[in-house]
Amino acid sequence: MLKVLKNPAHRAWLVLIVATGITWYLGEIGAYGTAAIVAMLVIAFIKGRLVILDFMELRTAPWLWRILLEGWLIVVGGLILLAYWISLK
Amino acid sequence: MIPAMTEATTSPAPNQPRLPGDLAIWIFILAEMLVFAVFFTAYAFARAKDPALFNECQMTLDRNAGAINTLLLVTGSWFVVLAVQAAHRDDKAVIARHVALGMLCGAGFLGVKVVEYAAKFGAGISLSTNTFYMFYISLTFFHFMHVILGMVILSVIWNQARKGAYGRENCHGLESGAAYWHMVDLLWIILFPLVYVMR
Amino acid sequence: MQFKSQAVAKPYFIAAIGLFVGQILFGLILGAQYVLGDFLFPEIPFNVARMVHTNLLIVWLLFGFMGGAYYMIPEEAETELASPKLALAMFWIFLVAGALTIVGYLTVPYATLAELTGNNIIETMGREFLEQPLPTKLGIVVVALAFLFNITLTVLKGKKTAIAIVLLIGLWGLAVFFLFAFYNPVNIVIDKFFWWWTVHLWVEGVWELILGSFLAFVLIKTTGVDREVIEKWLYVIVTLTLITGIIGTGHHYYWIGTPEYWQWWGSIFSALEPIPFFAMTVFAFTMVNRRRREHPNKVAVLWALGTGVMAFLGAGVWGFLHTLSPVNFYTHGTQITAAHGHMAFYGAYVMVVLMMISYAMPIMRGRAANDQKSQVLEMWSFWLMTVAIVFITLFLTAAGILQVWLQRASDTPIPFMAAQEKIALFYWMREWTGVIFLVGLLLYIISFFVGKGEKAA
Repeated sequence: MLKVLKNPAHRAWLVLIVATGITWYLGEIGAYGTAAIVAMLVIAFIKGRLVILDFMELRTAPWLWRILLEGWLIVVGGLILLAYWISLK
Repeated sequence: MIPAMTEATTSPAPNQPRLPGDLAIWIFILAEMLVFAVFFTAYAFARAKDPALFNECQMTLDRNAGAINTLLLVTGSWFVVLAVQAAHRDDKAVIARHVALGMLCGAGFLGVKVVEYAAKFGAGISLSTNTFYMFYISLTFFHFMHVILGMVILSVIWNQARKGAYGRENCHGLESGAAYWHMVDLLWIILFPLVYVMR
Repeated sequence: MQFKSQAVAKPYFIAAIGLFVGQILFGLILGAQYVLGDFLFPEIPFNVARMVHTNLLIVWLLFGFMGGAYYMIPEEAETELASPKLALAMFWIFLVAGALTIVGYLTVPYATLAELTGNNIIETMGREFLEQPLPTKLGIVVVALAFLFNITLTVLKGKKTAIAIVLLIGLWGLAVFFLFAFYNPVNIVIDKFFWWWTVHLWVEGVWELILGSFLAFVLIKTTGVDREVIEKWLYVIVTLTLITGIIGTGHHYYWIGTPEYWQWWGSIFSALEPIPFFAMTVFAFTMVNRRRREHPNKVAVLWALGTGVMAFLGAGVWGFLHTLSPVNFYTHGTQITAAHGHMAFYGAYVMVVLMMISYAMPIMRGRAANDQKSQVLEMWSFWLMTVAIVFITLFLTAAGILQVWLQRASDTPIPFMAAQEKIALFYWMREWTGVIFLVGLLLYIISFFVGKGEKAA
């Protein structure tokens, strides 16, 4: 089992599955409001980062490409957060 | 970005920063992600104008279908990563199989989506119903089209892989297609919580 | 010149420039009519002058595209043109048909022209930019098909380079989307909806592919940068164009009676339309900076860089200014649109055709480039025309902003004609700048006749 987890792709897959389950669960219990929104965005950020680094294999890419893709996640997540924050006011 | 344009090909060299696949596919991926970024942001700000409507309509969406589709895409991506890893260790025999499994997951996604759409359209929901459904249909449908394009790319790769085209020395095309497929996954990872769950 | 048949481009280029002069003359008449309403009335009414101005533009650009393609395709495919005779025959058919159409516009009232040319058989006339009588429209189709047949056959029997393929896609797209000129449903919403498939999908879709392909060709020839590098850029530009441009059509669907979601689709996708143009700017400058040789034809390179910058400014920046639906709500159909139209057409399509002519003409006349004197004169014409169009754009933008304010945004809006009178000063400035543009164009023509050839090709 531990040997399997040495492969970053397997690790990433496992985390992605679990994280998807958490988001789904938050939906099922009807979570809403600031805490739920932030939690879901953080989960999405972690998931997106794993896809970028371990699936797209950008962990070993020139830094420019990591910045572009991870920056995309941060900017999109940030703008969504801003819009939701406005809607809560 | 610009100097990199002159690099004709990149061959795998260990410990050297390396962009997998072709530079052109990455420019394409960036452009696609930019379109979706604008779309996601537009959704979020349109929602801020009428949270009540969005929250109400969001309840009508099939969250289970959305979650299952996330699992399908994530797993499909994972299979394609395994295909690329197999190419890197020159294990040619399993590449095609893993690409095929990735496509199977993609087909599953499309199937679930079609059922979901059938239910929604059957209920008389259209682009003109209200702003929420306009975004729901547009966003998921544009993504749907990207899954189809990803499947087309994977099928080309699968065909090549079956002929033994990919290996340690030649994984450029495979990596390029894989990168696009992962982008489809990445977009859904934002889309699912945003449209189906966050409130 | 590598292939004899490339020479068929020459008459196309000459006709293009001749019609360009006509377009500018009618532009000046039109500009004068903005401030002197009855200028040349009743001989040349405003609507006729406008029709001639825009139709000539399209026709001369088509001549330029065809000439450019006839020149480029044999060199790319590395084989003689399939049929130079057909190309020459089509030239005369197109020229005569074009000239007759313009004569028709000028001598007969439009309604009579419609009656005479069988508009009652298939009603296609009376719509902006597609005013051509039925026989002309059919003529365009015949010429386009013969032209496409000719160059496609050439590519099929020769080498199939990426640049040639992109050009073919662009030109086939041009022909296919023209077919919507024949579709004229009674429902005016549906009519407008598909009318844009010709108009928008030409200038913000397939024409951009033609532009990219021409630019790539001239950059390969003048900079000596590897074809592989240039092709990669071309792929990126083509993809960006199609991603943004196709659904970007939606920015014309805001206020014509189409469903509301077009406001979102149109805004989102067309907001990204500057990106391919920006890529083209970066492309042109990067390639010229990386040049491996000093091509003697400096002015062709200047046109290439110019089209990169001006297309981005005119189509990209000035397009973005009024593409979002909340902005467009106020600006649609004002002088803002005219400002954008002038700079975009000049920057993207006029300049790229002039670039092709500038590169190919000296070679067709037996030298690699014109001599110093001629090139300097042509550079003068470049700067005069370009600076003039920048100022025309700025004056029209100022006029447009005022117009939007007076007519639509203020608390006490005034009627259209009253607003027009208030912005007359800008129309006057635009008109005089137009005269400078004409001077630039005349210098361009004179540059063909001064100096002797420098080097044998």
